[in-house]
Amino acid sequence: MASANFISIIQHQPALATTYEGDDPELLERLAPLVDMIEISPDAIAGSDGKRARLRPEVMDEYASVSSQLRFVAHGVGLSIGSFDQWSESYLCLLDELFARFDLAWHSEHLAYTEVAGENVGTMLALPRTQEALDLVCERVRRIQERYGVPFLLEHVIQLLPDAPGDFTPAGFLNAVTSNTGCGLILDIYNLECDAHNQGLDISGFLEELDLSSVREMHVAGGVKQNGFQLDIHSRESSNSTLKLAREVAARAPGLRAVTYEFLKEAIPSLGRDAICAELVRVRKAMQQ
Amino acid sequence: MTQLELQQRGLLDLIKGRGTPPTEPYLVSVAGSKGLGMIREIAVWWRAFQIEAQCYFTSRLLKSYGRFDSLITSYFKGNATSPFVEELSRGFLLWLQAEEDSLIRSVTQFEYAFLEVRGNSDVVFEVLWDRNPDEVFQALEGRRELPTRDGKYAYRMRIGRNLPGMFVCTRGPERLQHGQEEYRPTLAQEQKRNEKSAGSARNEGDVVRASQSKRHVSG
Repeated sequence: MASANFISIIQHQPALATTYEGDDPELLERLAPLVDMIEISPDAIAGSDGKRARLRPEVMDEYASVSSQLRFVAHGVGLSIGSFDQWSESYLCLLDELFARFDLAWHSEHLAYTEVAGENVGTMLALPRTQEALDLVCERVRRIQERYGVPFLLEHVIQLLPDAPGDFTPAGFLNAVTSNTGCGLILDIYNLECDAHNQGLDISGFLEELDLSSVREMHVAGGVKQNGFQLDIHSRESSNSTLKLAREVAARAPGLRAVTYEFLKEAIPSLGRDAICAELVRVRKAMQQ
Repeated sequence: MTQLELQQRGLLDLIKGRGTPPTEPYLVSVAGSKGLGMIREIAVWWRAFQIEAQCYFTSRLLKSYGRFDSLITSYFKGNATSPFVEELSRGFLLWLQAEEDSLIRSVTQFEYAFLEVRGNSDVVFEVLWDRNPDEVFQALEGRRELPTRDGKYAYRMRIGRNLPGMFVCTRGPERLQHGQEEYRPTLAQEQKRNEKSAGSARNEGDVVRASQSKRHVSG
């Protein structure tokens, strides 16, 4: 059971992590020997007591059942760190609950917003790369860092809308956030490929400009094309190009601690548990080459 | 208003398809973009996926009417939706109470009540049906033709955490006469009743089987 963890440690390889959102104990049992860490998304495991969102206790118990074998990280969707007015207190309450129950190696959120004036947008939207947005995000990152006292990472999101006028390049904006706050980055390799497809992002130029020493975690995933867009709907295995790029970046990112294969809970029936497990073996092997 | 606020409020309005057409250059470019359509599609798709997972019978009923997608879209556009699936589902089910169709109201009240009970609510909910609910559940489960209104009986279902099996359904004593004013089920919230009163309710009429429904609503 501990062999995967042990190999990562002695070879100084990044840990392997994956998503688990509860309600599938058979899957969790199969995932546990294959990975070193589990990514917990508080939003995805939230129920409600009729008054406010709360973490579902039965899912928390599932995590507890593997807590002696695996480490946990939290990866949020709904903090809405970039909202002009306020972030989501509901999300922070969920995160408080999670921190109260488990030791988290770090936690992370998307560099985006999901709410505007308290109203949910329906998806995650990228921030304009302006000084105003930068100042707002940095101030909130500092508050988050003080509140939880463990490393906090931000992940760039894909851009489907036209690029807004801004003061920074995509990499320059991330560099400014990390250098101003000391927070780490999640580099989502598949998101880069989406942006290259949808927006013409020059991945090589982006990576050349990005301060890769701030990358603590990488995400890999596979998605779908629809209406000409490459979407970050994590419903497939990673493509060979994604893993190849992940390997190249890993070699240049000395602070990298984990590589996470992400898949949606909703995709499990079509993807299949066997394919998920095989994918984890494949990702680990790819990262060890 | 800061530039960030202006932009975020403008994008929200564009995604929700409301407000006046923008004049600010960036928002104008978004309004004419393919990406906006994709964002709208994704936003509705997510809501649909979450509601379908949480509200099994309601989703199947609305699909059988060919109204699922349009109602999800209308709900998203016209309401501030919760990012959390259970709260989203509650909001959607309550919103559907304004529907004219009595079966939509009964099914949504039933699923709403179960969400509340699963959330440890002590309330005992009452849902009235104009046809046998078990036949409704079986039809939805098997994607078969829905039963028509029962011209002789009304069905009274009570749902509560402390009821045996979490809910009890009785047939009668109400009778719907042809031409009689149709009753409109309401989401009546009763105070908590003890199991004794629940037991007595079982004797008021024939207990309707509801085995099919438990599998999908009690989690």
